[in-house]
Amino acid sequence: MAQKETSAVRSEEEPLLSVDNLQTAFFTDKEVIRAVDGVNFDIHRGETVGIVGESGSGKSVTARSIMGLVDSPGRVLSGSSITFRGEELTEKSEKQYRSLRGSDIAMVFQDPLTSLNPVYTVGNQIKEALRLHQDLRGAAATEEAINLLEAVGIPDASRRVKEYPHEFSGGMRQRAVIAMALACDPELLICDEPTTALDVTIQAQILELLQDLQEERDLAIMFITHDMGVIAEISDRVNVMYAGEIVESAPVEELFENPRHPYTQGLLQSIPGNQPDADRLSTIEGDVPTPNEPAGYCRFEPRCPKAFEDCTRVHPASVEVNDEADDHTAACLLYPEDASQAEAVELHEQLESEREVSER
Amino acid sequence: MLLFGASITFLVIRAGPLDPVSAILGPQGDPQAYNAIRDQLGLDQPLWQQYIDYMVNMFTLNLGESWVLQPDTSVYSLVVSYAPRTIWLGFWAVLIAIFVGIPLGFYAGLNPNTFSDYIASFGGIVWRAMPNFWLAVILMSVLSQSEKFFFGFNWEGFLYATNVTGPPPLGDLTSVDGFLKALKKIAPAALVLGSASMGNEMRIGRTAVLETVNSNFIETARAKGVPPRSLVWKHIFRNALIPLVPIITGEAFILLGGSVLVESVFDISGIGYLFFQAIKNGDMPLVGSLMFIFILLVVLINIMQDFLYTIIDPRVGYDGGA
Repeated sequence: MAQKETSAVRSEEEPLLSVDNLQTAFFTDKEVIRAVDGVNFDIHRGETVGIVGESGSGKSVTARSIMGLVDSPGRVLSGSSITFRGEELTEKSEKQYRSLRGSDIAMVFQDPLTSLNPVYTVGNQIKEALRLHQDLRGAAATEEAINLLEAVGIPDASRRVKEYPHEFSGGMRQRAVIAMALACDPELLICDEPTTALDVTIQAQILELLQDLQEERDLAIMFITHDMGVIAEISDRVNVMYAGEIVESAPVEELFENPRHPYTQGLLQSIPGNQPDADRLSTIEGDVPTPNEPAGYCRFEPRCPKAFEDCTRVHPASVEVNDEADDHTAACLLYPEDASQAEAVELHEQLESEREVSER
Repeated sequence: MLLFGASITFLVIRAGPLDPVSAILGPQGDPQAYNAIRDQLGLDQPLWQQYIDYMVNMFTLNLGESWVLQPDTSVYSLVVSYAPRTIWLGFWAVLIAIFVGIPLGFYAGLNPNTFSDYIASFGGIVWRAMPNFWLAVILMSVLSQSEKFFFGFNWEGFLYATNVTGPPPLGDLTSVDGFLKALKKIAPAALVLGSASMGNEMRIGRTAVLETVNSNFIETARAKGVPPRSLVWKHIFRNALIPLVPIITGEAFILLGGSVLVESVFDISGIGYLFFQAIKNGDMPLVGSLMFIFILLVVLINIMQDFLYTIIDPRVGYDGGA
């Protein structure tokens, strides 16, 4: 997708979705797990924003927070703000939220094999969405369902609409799920690892389909994955998540050419194709820590090759990586790189003191 | 299946220690009469001859006559007079289990780990653990002296005057009065008989609902904006029923067999009671025919179960596909 255009649009237009200091925590008997801890990002119309990170870094919880689908014992903490078309979502009642789900914000889940109800026909499930949000029934709904299936590239849609999910293949089912998500012409589509359960050729088809649909309908897509290749393929802008925080955010080309955060650098290095001559694949040692307390330190520090003393003491804030950089931020004490280290640490300390951390 | 079952039945009856002749004659029969009766009943014929006669008779529904229990009454008329009581009992037992057990289970599953869930689950386990005969005796003694236990509430005089035990009056089911009377009469027995299945269905219903609630398609449906009521009735209910189908039909068998105990405690002379008496007295044709009827029922219920499956779960088809 055209990079220049979207960045030009970005500055002018108000974002479609704006997430500000989103904090979602799970209150278990043992501890409070801050699965998403102070996440900020924007999504504009017609733009694809990718979110990458390891398993357990809080990607899916971010998506569910936006959808208002965080289940007990989890909760979006006060002080978090999610605005969609200027409306604050975190204050909405369950009923108001429901009318938004599926109609304005839709979601595609990871596993297409289980995300359709096995006892109803595919058509029935698409029509359910149509009935809920557009009040379409009967023959009109059936026709619309057939159109949708055709739009996502399912051949012989008029016959397929009467079939059950088990009669569809994996790729077909994901197409059907996408058709269902698109049923009410949403403005934002959240894809939670939509290609992870599919094999590579089908992956490519689904990505292409999403891109076509985006151009056609001016969709904003939030794309969650742990696959750097997929992100490079589809996103305009990438947010890298680690232990509930966004550690780096940049346009896709910039991120792949000039990764700044040590974590992003490690991620890109561990892609096998990037180091053809090495005997062993370089990896990031260790595991993602469980974020069970508000951080007063850098959560990546134990695994970071560039860590220094202050990293255990100061929690890094998101800053522009240097003066020239346009729209490239990293949460690391090494930046901004044009400041001296002491100055940088001081800046982070100051920004941190302004940040609002909710305990409940 | 029918053939196999009937053959086994034949074998068990003939090879077993049943001796209808001595049962007819009593302990002081003289050998002369013994042989005469033996001859008359056709028991002196070679075994294969008996087998063929037996099978042919069964499959032409020629059930023969009772030898010992009520001599010269046809098995058919015996079954007709005894069966309705058992059917009436089994019917209500199954209904109680379905309409109390399953809703309770679903309720518990939809509100997991709440106080009411714990109450229901615990109740289910206790209910399930109480043996039929024990519960039957306890219930009977409590109800027959209900004034003592329920602050003057008198079960025997409630609505209609009835004894706790005895066969239900089934003569007049079409009138409201007759229906209620028969219902009241059967209620304690049905409650006892249904109790185990009720607990079972509750537990399994709860698990099934929990499993369904946590599946991905429920989340997809929620993301689609489906309101909770339709989520429960449309998306959860039908999926949770799938594992319950074999449980319900499986229990229908147990109700048939298990009714022997309950029928004897509550003195309801139904099929189970008849079967028990027939075996005790070596009434071969009666035992054989009743077994045949049971086998027939089992096969029918199985067919019904498969049929139910195809209605609820589209993945199961007639063509054996999927």
